[in-house]
Amino acid sequence: MLPEQQDILWTFVTLLFTVFSILVFINVIKNCRARPGVNAQKWGIVFGAFILLSLYQTNEMFSLNQQEQLGYVGNQVLTVFFILLTWGIFFKGENIESQSPPLIRVAFFYSTISILLAGYTNWLPQQRSDPPPKAVAFTGEVTMEEYADMGKVIVFGAKQVAGQKSIGKGQCPLCHTFDPGDNIGRCPNLFGVEERSHTRIKEDRYLNSPIAIGEKDGPSGIIKGKPDEIPEEYRRDGSPDLIGEDYLRESLMCPSCYVVVSYGKAGDTVSPMPLIHKPPISLSKFELNSVITWLQAKDTPGEFSKVTVPLPSPDDTASEEPAVDGGEAPIFATGTETPEEIVNLMGCPLCHTIPGVEGAVGELGPKLHEKINAPNRIKDARYEGSAKTTQEYVRESILNPSAYVVMNEEEGELFPDGVMPADFGSKLSINALNKLVEFISNTEESGS
Amino acid sequence: MFSTKFKKLQALPFAMFLALTVFAVNGLMADVASAKEVFAEQAFAEQAFAKEVLAEEGAEGEGEGEPAIEWSQDVFYKDWEGNPLKGPVSGAPAPDLGPNDYNKYDFAPSRILLWVANQQHLYFGSFVLAVPIFCMLIEFIGIRTKESDPVLSEKYDRLAHDLMKISLTAYSWTAILGGVLLFTFITLFPGFFKYMAGIFRPVMHVYALMFLAESGVLYVYYYGWDRMKDDQFLKWIHCSLSVLLNLIGTVLMYLANSWATFMQAPGGIDEQGRFLGNIWHVIHSTLWNPVGVHRILGNIVFGGGIVGAYAAYHYLSAKTPEEKAHYDWVCYIAMFIAIFGLIPLPFAGYWLMKEVYAFRQQMGITLMGGIMAWLFIIQAVMIGLLFFGANSYLHNSMARVRGSHRYMKYCKYMVLVLIVCFTAWMTPHTIVMTPAELKAMGGAQHPVVGHFGVMSAKNTAVNLMITTTIFCFLLYQRANKKITVKWAYIGNCWLTAIFVGAACNIVYLGVYGYFLPANQRVGLSVPQVTTTLTTLFAGTAINISMFKDSESYGDIEWGTQSRVGTYAIFLLAISFTWLMGLMGYIRSAVRLFWHVTEVLRDNGPDAYTLTIGEAGKMLTFNALFVWVQFGIVFWVGSLTGKKKVESAAPQGVPVPAQQQQ
Repeated sequence: MLPEQQDILWTFVTLLFTVFSILVFINVIKNCRARPGVNAQKWGIVFGAFILLSLYQTNEMFSLNQQEQLGYVGNQVLTVFFILLTWGIFFKGENIESQSPPLIRVAFFYSTISILLAGYTNWLPQQRSDPPPKAVAFTGEVTMEEYADMGKVIVFGAKQVAGQKSIGKGQCPLCHTFDPGDNIGRCPNLFGVEERSHTRIKEDRYLNSPIAIGEKDGPSGIIKGKPDEIPEEYRRDGSPDLIGEDYLRESLMCPSCYVVVSYGKAGDTVSPMPLIHKPPISLSKFELNSVITWLQAKDTPGEFSKVTVPLPSPDDTASEEPAVDGGEAPIFATGTETPEEIVNLMGCPLCHTIPGVEGAVGELGPKLHEKINAPNRIKDARYEGSAKTTQEYVRESILNPSAYVVMNEEEGELFPDGVMPADFGSKLSINALNKLVEFISNTEESGS
Repeated sequence: MFSTKFKKLQALPFAMFLALTVFAVNGLMADVASAKEVFAEQAFAEQAFAKEVLAEEGAEGEGEGEPAIEWSQDVFYKDWEGNPLKGPVSGAPAPDLGPNDYNKYDFAPSRILLWVANQQHLYFGSFVLAVPIFCMLIEFIGIRTKESDPVLSEKYDRLAHDLMKISLTAYSWTAILGGVLLFTFITLFPGFFKYMAGIFRPVMHVYALMFLAESGVLYVYYYGWDRMKDDQFLKWIHCSLSVLLNLIGTVLMYLANSWATFMQAPGGIDEQGRFLGNIWHVIHSTLWNPVGVHRILGNIVFGGGIVGAYAAYHYLSAKTPEEKAHYDWVCYIAMFIAIFGLIPLPFAGYWLMKEVYAFRQQMGITLMGGIMAWLFIIQAVMIGLLFFGANSYLHNSMARVRGSHRYMKYCKYMVLVLIVCFTAWMTPHTIVMTPAELKAMGGAQHPVVGHFGVMSAKNTAVNLMITTTIFCFLLYQRANKKITVKWAYIGNCWLTAIFVGAACNIVYLGVYGYFLPANQRVGLSVPQVTTTLTTLFAGTAINISMFKDSESYGDIEWGTQSRVGTYAIFLLAISFTWLMGLMGYIRSAVRLFWHVTEVLRDNGPDAYTLTIGEAGKMLTFNALFVWVQFGIVFWVGSLTGKKKVESAAPQGVPVPAQQQQ
């Protein structure tokens, strides 16, 4: 549900509460009529009032958004509690021995069980998964480190949660592991894969199994061991000799060209791995090469001498912009941009006023005067995040905007939660995020 | 003489039931059939179709040179050598959907509305498909017991008739919800619906016509009940109609399933989503059979839950002892059927997951180890809840059986086993932690508790829970019987040996799994399941054999079920409903951002995967909403006139066939 919409469950439950108050009223009137000595008028007024109160509260619920409904539903629960209490007093006070009808008891039982289940699901860790961009675009020149970082983001995603497996567009960690000694048994551990890529292409098993060099793999259509015959849009430039980079590329585009012992199907002749350049993952050449770059560089942090993939030029990706998107290709900031460029690229000025950024006078969200504001917000009683410093607070606000919702002092209410996108983690490289955090952390009101 | 002849024909319903079973599990048959034969059949169909297309093209393009037929590769089907099967391109490619292909209302996201429409239709569809299965079985049992126990026979017959009466109202309701679903599709997802309608065009009207057939048979079956009741020949014809009704219903369900299974694991199209001319390939995609079998069993369980809750409600509101006895007995029958369907359900689910993994490993891992993994933890909690509910019902039911005091003392131990197993069953593999917590624990998995989060522990736990439930059921069966067969001691020893042996074997295999690599460990679930099934079949067979010439401590005191036992039925019913919604959501949501996996991308604003909390609230809403509707349907059904419950105690107090000697 969108933040401005109503919550379907609470809206339904509020209707049930009203029906409940009507059923109680009917039950009370029936009991009064069956017994001559009972004051039907008195009890009718009491329980009729409850109906009116329920109707009023239901009407109120329909005018609230889901966040507000969550707060208001407590009032209705209170009303139901008082109805039950008064109902009990009625039974006791009038010496009526019959109990509430099974219909109401069963309905209460059902509602309690199923709402408890909904509560349980809300108690568990919440993670929303957005669809990956069709293709990553980038702006400006990149360094090899940034290029490898992009590959890492494709493998793991930009957001990483402690104790949770992070999975990016490539979905690799679903099956592969990357650290020494770590093996979940689904697919080979990719620690040392750069080194293996050079030796593997010389092994007898690679040369002949499950298909020989020069033969075509049916599902992928790739001719094994022939880098010059890889589909043109993915082909590398240079010599046609088979090198380690080709093995890595072939493993991604034709997993069944070579299947590591004990990780395949049908006697290790068929790999369960999907073709990375085809749906559902559909990496572009730029993305696929960035993954290969990361695979070649990951075991030697800070050292990129083993990377053989050339750096892309903007021309490489210009042709990859999906024309069908009408220019709405997903954005990605690499970190080579200036902070102002990143701010504009992410569309922050649409909602925020940001000193130092021309034209950033948006009013939908809070003004970003974080040098002064952030330390105060961390100290706010409502603040439940984990930031201790201004930088940490700004980083948290970018990656998890709902962690703390700022009060709109002019309106005397909170800014609406859920409006700010929660996917900046997948649009910013680590460098870009650091740059943005540093910039925003030092913003202050002009003239102060 | 006429009736004597027809006694011989009593084998007919058996044969028809067998035919239904064979039909329902034809996927199994296909799987075990020679792959070569299957391929030959496919190749033959391809060739025949290609010739037909060529002939048509030739006739159309006569004199215009060679007919231009484009052939393309199937995304799923492969030929004998493992290469993608080719077919003539016979449809448009899947569209790249844009903003104009998605409509919305302001009050709720389109995806949520479609979810509600779909789920409500499925709930009701499930119920109306399940009830004829019950009626078929109950009516058959009624016919078979007519000579030995006419009173009981009449009870069975009346029960089947009453169930059909409720089902009839629900049937109309299902059709209305189907219409709502269709309009929701057309209105909110026109681009997607156009593509799907293009692919399934050859069978869409078959589906509609099957509804006509279903309706016709249903009306004859229900309205002909009293007229065909007294004549034995006509009664058998009537019972056979229920078989026909179930056959048509099953075909209907399988046709509807093909839409969902095609969306999840498509076949019969090429990479661009173009139809390759063979509708059978589209329908019979890889998940079609497991989903079909899983849904049949799920329908039985869900239907049992609804009928049980219906009876439990009437039990609570019954005014006379006779009414109470009747509805208590109906509760028992419904629970028996539900649990009968529940026991094989995990195995059908296992088969489905196996096929999902075979289709795309990353899809399976997304389910079991990726973003959907927490939903499986919730499923585990729900299954635990079901086992607690089922055992609670049996424990409380035992209390009204004379002679049960001999076995009641074991109940507390069974509850203990269930609690221990449930704890292991719901232990997550990893949980979300702060870096400090992660460091303090020394890794993503707890050094001790983490061991219970892996499949070895979970398979062991769930098999022990099922075995415990089976054991509890066997005790319930023999609760009022004094075993008199000469081999009683040996029989009891065998039963003890089977259950103790099974428990040891299940635990041993679970522990052994920790010492094996993951890909081999998975294989251990087969012997564990086999062990559990052995306790079910061998245990029940021995137990029933021991009832021969047994003495009775007294009849079951129907109508004395405790409140806790009755509410256990409600717990089962709402849990079935919620769980059914949950598993349906998981199966559908695993497509992530695809309408049709890897072929038709969801470019709508709702293409994200919901958080667990959002999904949970939707499941609760759907569960409560459908029960409100069930309440209305039952109330409408009751308006058609209530038959007074016959007060024929003591003869009127029925004893189910399997409780009799």
